[in-house]
Amino acid sequence: MNENNKQVILEAVNLTKKYDDGVLALDNLNFAIYENEIFAMLGGNGAGKTTTINIFLNLLEPTSGDAKVCGVSSHIEPLVVKKNLAYVSENVMLYPNFTALQNLDFFSQLGGQDSLTKDHYQEVLIRVGLAEQVHNNKLKGFSKGMRQKCGIAIAILKDTKAILFDEPTSGLDPKAGYEFIQLLNDLKGEGKAVLMSTHDIFRAKEAADTIAIMNDGKFLMKEKASTLFDKDLESLYMQYMAGHAPQPASEGV
Amino acid sequence: MLKTLVEKEIREIIGSPKFTYTFIVCLVLILLSFYSGAVSYKDNVTHWEAAKAENLQSFEGIKEWYRVQENRIFLPPQPLATLVSGVSNDIGRTSNIEPSGEVTADDSRYNEEPAYAYFRFIDLEFIFLVVLALFAIMLGYDAICGEKEKGTLKLCLSNAIPRTKFLMGKFIGAFSVLSISLIISIGLGCLLLPLLGVHLSSEEWIRLGLIVVAGLLYFGLFLAMSVMVSSFTQRTATSFLILLIIWISSTLILPRVAVMVSGRAVDVPTVDELGYQKAMYATEQWKSFLNSLDNYTPIENEDMEEVMANFNKFMDSISIAREERMNIYRSRLNEQRYNKELERSQIAFALARISPSSSLSLASSTLAGTSPELKDQFYQQAKNYQTSLKEFLNEKTGMNMGGGFIMTISESDAPEKDPIDPTEIPQFKFEPESLSKSVQKALPDFGLLILFNCIFIAGAFVSFNRYDAR
Repeated sequence: MNENNKQVILEAVNLTKKYDDGVLALDNLNFAIYENEIFAMLGGNGAGKTTTINIFLNLLEPTSGDAKVCGVSSHIEPLVVKKNLAYVSENVMLYPNFTALQNLDFFSQLGGQDSLTKDHYQEVLIRVGLAEQVHNNKLKGFSKGMRQKCGIAIAILKDTKAILFDEPTSGLDPKAGYEFIQLLNDLKGEGKAVLMSTHDIFRAKEAADTIAIMNDGKFLMKEKASTLFDKDLESLYMQYMAGHAPQPASEGV
Repeated sequence: MLKTLVEKEIREIIGSPKFTYTFIVCLVLILLSFYSGAVSYKDNVTHWEAAKAENLQSFEGIKEWYRVQENRIFLPPQPLATLVSGVSNDIGRTSNIEPSGEVTADDSRYNEEPAYAYFRFIDLEFIFLVVLALFAIMLGYDAICGEKEKGTLKLCLSNAIPRTKFLMGKFIGAFSVLSISLIISIGLGCLLLPLLGVHLSSEEWIRLGLIVVAGLLYFGLFLAMSVMVSSFTQRTATSFLILLIIWISSTLILPRVAVMVSGRAVDVPTVDELGYQKAMYATEQWKSFLNSLDNYTPIENEDMEEVMANFNKFMDSISIAREERMNIYRSRLNEQRYNKELERSQIAFALARISPSSSLSLASSTLAGTSPELKDQFYQQAKNYQTSLKEFLNEKTGMNMGGGFIMTISESDAPEKDPIDPTEIPQFKFEPESLSKSVQKALPDFGLLILFNCIFIAGAFVSFNRYDAR
């Protein structure tokens, strides 16, 4: 507990990942994400954002350090961790020959939600903005944005304490992007801790409570969004990425 | 959890076009094999009965038993041979049995109908070996790498499911769908049999059931292997290519290589070589036999019957001795060849069993009674028949039939004799191997199929637990 008596949901403690080919993907990363918080990791390709998410999902073992969810280590007790974790990928891919409802049913049961009914699925699909007339359509006819909405619906139905979003707004049209931010705020309002990796500076600033700029496995900057309110985040990001940091990062770097 | 995974797998497979095509092809081929098998069996039975009747007719009008120099015997068609032909079409099905001399079989089906030898029949074993294995590959090659390519693997594994359970769900789902489809197809095929006039005995139904079990084990093995390969490859194209190579090697190359290697390892004299040696020895013996005739001095007696009896006694003594020497020589050569052949076969089968296809072939043909041992069984029973035929004719004629010359006197004023009754000639009855013996012989191959299943399932678990699912 910290930060106004809120519970830490997602936590990286000296998280380091070095690949077999010698590439240092994460370099002693530290952060904590509380309930009701949206944490955005900004960075270019290869910065280490997806590696961080993969370690939380136990798809990668950290070289050292730990990634914890509700205080439980992801590589020591991955099945316990995954019960508290939902994941939405950049390009949500579901089973193309299943309908939206069938996909939701399967993934909900996989996520441990056995008692949900068709009504629950439809309610959530409508909530994420998917019109009722397509609920029984097969996924193979869905656009990327529609699949994204299904992915978010699956995450909502899993009803976890933390949600990991990997590039969630990539490829979405402005309307879908706006709807996504609204949804993210709703989730935050429900007490979820959200870790979001993104290239989208505009959406990050709009939605996140904390923004970190990441490069070569390190946070170059990690600030509360409120402190960045009057700053031009885009130019700040460009300066960091170009190696002209205006100030040393305030914490956790 | 496992139920959810299995249900999803079943739903996904059934909803995919590849399953629809697979099922249709499987059903059509199986029904075709049952239909053509049943029709072929009925034809074979008709031919077999006609051949037996024709053989009996050939004795009509014969009035002296010593004129019955040979009897033709026929290997009866086996109902299960139509579903698992094994070697039944390759080996001789008829044999001319003489009271003495060698027993050989000829008139194999492929000898009579070379087109079949060239293209072979589509039987249940062929469907299992080639088609079913390919279907298992088609269902399993993308089990894991396909999920990764689709992007669903990461989402699935972001949930609290152990990887072993995920894999088990895939395997059970795919196995259930294909085995149910297979059982439905075979069930329909079985319904066709009585409709087409082929009636299996309860023992034959058990044999067929065990053949289907062997087929399911083989299918499970290829499925497990496909899932294993898909668990260590990142791309479906790579997985499919590896599996195709394994499939071709397993079904087409390895068994043939095993036979080639065993052929190199053990040199078996050809039948012609042996025939030449036997002919040389027979010529030698014949000369000696003729020389012995020179030593014969007919007794001086006016009673011609006594003269004849004395001559026949002398002939018996020298012909029996010659026959014994010939038999010993032939038996020795045959035994030497048989032992070499056995050694070569054992090496060939042991090597071929590296391929599960060979285990399936051997298990199913043993159960169907069409394994390579059928040739020996027919030969052995024909030899036994030869003994009983000889005893029968010796009893009827009072002479040693098949020994040497027979001298008879025909008197013009002798009363007309009645023709012999050919039905008195002992009938050849082929006794197939008992079910318990066949099962006992097929057990090692069942064991191997189960072992291969376990190895590939364990391999799939090991590789999937280390699989990079990102």
